[in-house]
Amino acid sequence: MDKRKRKHRLREVNCPTGLNWSNLKAELKAVWESYIKDWKIEFAYPVSFIRQLISPIVYLLPFMLYGIALVGGRYSPNLEQIVGTGDVVTFTFTGYMLMGFIGTAVWAMGFSIRRERWFGTLESIYVTPSSRLGQVLGMALHSTVHQMLGTIIQFIFIYVTFGIGLKIEGTLPALAIFALMMLALYGFGIVISALGLILREGWVVSDVLYSIMMILSPVAYPLVVLPTIAQKASALFPTAPALIGIRTFLMENYHAEAFGNVFLHLLLLGTAWILFGVLVFRLTDGYVRKRGMLKKF
Amino acid sequence: MSQQATQQSVYSSNLSVIWNEVVKNIKTLFAYPTIIVFWAIFPIFWFIPFILQGEAFVGGLESSSFAEITGTGEYIPFIVIGAILSSYVNTLLYGMGENIRKEAYQGTLDYVLAAPCNKAYVLIGKAVSESLSSTIFAISQLTISVLLFGMNITLGVMVPVSFIIILLILGLYGMSLLMAAFSLMYKQSYDLSESIGYIFYIFAPVRYPVESLPIWAQIIGKFIPLTYALIIVRSLMLLGTDLSAVYLDVITLLIIDIVLLLAGLYLFNKIEKKTRKSGIISHH
Repeated sequence: MDKRKRKHRLREVNCPTGLNWSNLKAELKAVWESYIKDWKIEFAYPVSFIRQLISPIVYLLPFMLYGIALVGGRYSPNLEQIVGTGDVVTFTFTGYMLMGFIGTAVWAMGFSIRRERWFGTLESIYVTPSSRLGQVLGMALHSTVHQMLGTIIQFIFIYVTFGIGLKIEGTLPALAIFALMMLALYGFGIVISALGLILREGWVVSDVLYSIMMILSPVAYPLVVLPTIAQKASALFPTAPALIGIRTFLMENYHAEAFGNVFLHLLLLGTAWILFGVLVFRLTDGYVRKRGMLKKF
Repeated sequence: MSQQATQQSVYSSNLSVIWNEVVKNIKTLFAYPTIIVFWAIFPIFWFIPFILQGEAFVGGLESSSFAEITGTGEYIPFIVIGAILSSYVNTLLYGMGENIRKEAYQGTLDYVLAAPCNKAYVLIGKAVSESLSSTIFAISQLTISVLLFGMNITLGVMVPVSFIIILLILGLYGMSLLMAAFSLMYKQSYDLSESIGYIFYIFAPVRYPVESLPIWAQIIGKFIPLTYALIIVRSLMLLGTDLSAVYLDVITLLIIDIVLLLAGLYLFNKIEKKTRKSGIISHH
């Protein structure tokens, strides 16, 4: 009996700690496996997969058709007066193109932990010797690629149906802005996934945050139509500076409404959101484990 | 005499099934106050971007181009009415399918279906409770919108509007029965509800006038009960027309309701029997 106990103790696993190349490689592998797992789950439900691919078009079309009905065509003199371009189709498309990625942060990342809880696999994941954030990041990566596919389909549809004029030479800086925005959105998503650990009705918080971000972002309208306080609040989220920056590089005659250096602004926001996200996640994670709340939902 | 007594007893038992189902669902709803607050207030956040978009594109509260198509240049009440009526679709269409699924998740579906009563009454109870909560949420959203956006509402128009909402709810009951039937059979009703939600959102004039769509899309919209409900309610509330002026739309809505209800009841009963026979009722 004693011998068996000793043998068992010898087989104990030591969790890797500290930042070194070997641990980082192991964590990246965990992120990759989580990413692959999500694709496998996704492909197991082909109807759901196709529906999600066309959803960016479904949610964009009402903004487009409503805008056209309002001005009786695709040109708005009032919009031109505010931002320098009156093309409502290109303006709305460039705005809504990025909104789907807020969904990545709010829904996909926010629900990564919650989903494992529904599947009954959360505890198994929690006892594996890897960071819980790896799970969240794997899902974020999957959701980002998924959203990119949806955005490509959206672009093709809008280009064929309405036609849009974009500056090709602005693509690279626009992509750089996009990458910086995603970094900050990942930090935001980590905060929401932490909330999902403690809140029973996490979807309510996600929906409320998504709606607030949607209003504070200049997706279908320029920031100036918002009250001053809301304009100031929009600077705290990455979507407003990113949208203004991307439009500056991609749209002809568009002049930026606010925010000096969008690159610097987004870099600062990204760092702040990531640090804040990791901190909140660690605190919540510790709290939930200590209180034995992991199984409750 | 005794046959009449038995009939009366069956009638009161069925009413009791409906009543208890309503009480159960309302109790469940009250167990989650966050959800009540959410549905009473937050759907307004979904249409605020459209109002701000109107302000940016038009530069005022009225649009002459919009007036040419819809008869009214005021886009804010147009959007508010669209959002509030479509909230019935959200709660009824998703609610019913999910309600059945929830019973399966909670492990109570077997008991509900084994109860010695007609299951259609259980579903009617679920539908009535969903409509009650939807109406409370709609009133709350409308009140907030009136206060926030300064909309003018004539109280006299609310009687015919309520009648049209009842007709819309009846049509949605029929669709919900279809959803519930598919939910019993295929378990994943969510994708189906979402896809139907997409069709409603695009082909019915929720956010824009139906004339903004190409002809083929307008034809699809003609099969959706929400299309008629929106056209009638907007005519009554925004254009000040009488119910008699839109009687053709009212009759069409009524016909769609009857077809959907009959199809829903028939399919639900058929699929319920099939699932009970095959024993897949409690699988999820």
